[in-house]
Amino acid sequence: MTISRRAAIVRAIVVKDLREFSRDRLWMVLTPLMLVFYVGILWLLPNTVDESIKVGVYARGLTGSFAEAFDSDAVSADAALEVVPFESPEALETAVVEGGEVEIDGQKHAVDIGISFPDELAASLAAGESATVTIYVDASVPAEVQTAMDAFVREATYAMAGVDLPVTQPEQELIVVGEDRVGAQITPQDRLTPLIAVMVLLVESMALAGLVAVEIQSRTAKAVVASPASVGDLLSAKGLTGTILAFTQAGLVLLLVGAFGHEPLLLLLALLIGSVMTAGFGMLAGSAGRDFMTTIFISMVFIIPMAVPAISALFPGAASAWVQVLPTYGFIETIVGVTAYGEGWADSAGYLLMSTVGCVIIFAAGWFILRRRVETL
Amino acid sequence: MNLRIAWQVLKKDLRLGPRSPILLWAIVFPVVGTFVVQIVFGSLFAPQPRLGIVDEGGSQVAVEMAAVEGIETSLVETEDGLVRLVEDNDLDAGLVLPAGFDEAVLAGEQPELQFFVGGESLASNRLILAVTTLDAVRTVEGATPPVDVVIVSTGDPLLPMSSRMTPLLVLFALLIAGVFVPAFSIVQERENGTMTALLVSPARGVDVLAAKAVMGLVLAFLMTLVTLWLNDALGTQPAALLLSVLIGALMLAEIGLLFGGAAKDSKTLFALMKSVNILLFAPVIFYIFPDWPQWIAQIFPTYWIINPIFEVAVQDAGLGDIVGQLAVALVICVVLVPMVVVVSRRMTQQVVAAA
Repeated sequence: MTISRRAAIVRAIVVKDLREFSRDRLWMVLTPLMLVFYVGILWLLPNTVDESIKVGVYARGLTGSFAEAFDSDAVSADAALEVVPFESPEALETAVVEGGEVEIDGQKHAVDIGISFPDELAASLAAGESATVTIYVDASVPAEVQTAMDAFVREATYAMAGVDLPVTQPEQELIVVGEDRVGAQITPQDRLTPLIAVMVLLVESMALAGLVAVEIQSRTAKAVVASPASVGDLLSAKGLTGTILAFTQAGLVLLLVGAFGHEPLLLLLALLIGSVMTAGFGMLAGSAGRDFMTTIFISMVFIIPMAVPAISALFPGAASAWVQVLPTYGFIETIVGVTAYGEGWADSAGYLLMSTVGCVIIFAAGWFILRRRVETL
Repeated sequence: MNLRIAWQVLKKDLRLGPRSPILLWAIVFPVVGTFVVQIVFGSLFAPQPRLGIVDEGGSQVAVEMAAVEGIETSLVETEDGLVRLVEDNDLDAGLVLPAGFDEAVLAGEQPELQFFVGGESLASNRLILAVTTLDAVRTVEGATPPVDVVIVSTGDPLLPMSSRMTPLLVLFALLIAGVFVPAFSIVQERENGTMTALLVSPARGVDVLAAKAVMGLVLAFLMTLVTLWLNDALGTQPAALLLSVLIGALMLAEIGLLFGGAAKDSKTLFALMKSVNILLFAPVIFYIFPDWPQWIAQIFPTYWIINPIFEVAVQDAGLGDIVGQLAVALVICVVLVPMVVVVSRRMTQQVVAAA
């Protein structure tokens, strides 16, 4: 049989499968709806990272020196602290204790930390006498921030009193390792985008698994291979159907969240690899040919571990070694690299290669096991 | 509705239920979910500033830093290893304390402070770690600070991550037992043809759905309590807890009936679940990330059942604190009833027509 004839058969099976999905009105309504939900949730998430600590300060005549007391190239008090000046200690205490927003100089501020310096502080420091500084904190402020503010006040007053640091600061006393992302941190939207894309892909593997399981159960797979279509044609068609379903939906989600602004071809390639891989998972899970519930259970066995690299990408730090060997790690890192860090082909080549190898292994395993299953029907 | 027939259907489900994998899943999940979420992911979600220390001479600074609440410190063997961890964003900052550092500080020699920060660390974390480190050095120096600092704390403290994960686990338990069990049971009855057999008997669609709802409700109620018990989150107000869990189980059992009644087969049910479950699950994400705008969670119906459970179980709220939220949840439950009736009639017509 010629290649064009084989292609026509595969195409016919794919069209039949897709038509079957399209005839399901509920599926046709709910699938786009699901994509809209995913995109909606992504858009609702903050697209900025607030990396400063907002502090209300009452320090008559001291506010400037307070903020400048601890500053350097890497630890910028300007970036880390947002100082809101208050006119009186009472107003500051009320703002922290009662919560909510207060209007200062026409701008609304909400502070959950307030530092109240005594009016006589400068005179006390000059006379070498001790004074008391009060810090008001909302109990929801993390312990480390409370500790840091406590230390900050002491260090600031050391500086005001002209006491030297107990250590020497090198020329650049605090060295930034890696690209400095202060002011350009990865936002929750960016962090969640790869997870959403991967979840769409993995969920679609269940759709393919269900389709395959039904064909095995009802033995229509046997009927198809009794026609001019070979087992290879059937498997190619199932793989293609799964890939199309997963790729179009994940691609649409990334398009709607505006993820294709940088290196769109690289992103599409990563998605394609991920889609073929999930089609492989679908073939593996569906080959059991059991009822829908069992198929879902088998699918979950693949989906849960395969989603771990995407969950791990939500959090800082390099993934554990066992996460890095999961087949989905490579294409998830490519999506993270492109969408969140603006990486290009050179940066992603290793991950792409890694995910391609994983994809080939998974798809081949799915093909082999499903082939055996169809042949033994 | 005929209660006797509904009871017969329920008895049949209870007898055959243990054969269903979904029932096994509903029972096993609270244990497995609690282990996975609390043990494996609990630490992953912890957003504390992380400081790595290379302590070459047994410095007191390392001891002081390890004792600071809210800062995760770890000892690293070599400076190269420390730099790599900071660069990979496994640590926010690194501190190298050479041998003789403390002695040099005490002697007033002002030794060099080797402190570096990761490019991806937040500005606030850099400040916290740097200023706390300096404070630890001041402690070693034995200096008398020029001011006394008094901290006045108000309001409620931030809940630990283990508590903020509780709504996720509770909703999982409610969803699997309350939605999945009745929905899949209904669909399997349709696919196996047993629904047709039931409906040609004196049983009506509403009797069958009532039996499925009771099974989902009881299972969801019990498994939610088991989940809360496993997470040591039963609160101090048993009446309020039981009522809020009961209303939660009721709402999800109704949703389960809607899913099961609306889906003509497993594939359609799957499509329903994959799209609607994101709506059901959305509110719990906001407990995990309290910095996100919390009002968004209130858009979703399940917020009105999960938040009362959370407040009673974790924050020891009483019935008076949650009565308004439970009222909203009950209104949603009431609104769902006519929808369930419509779905039940439609399902009956479809099954009878197909027969």
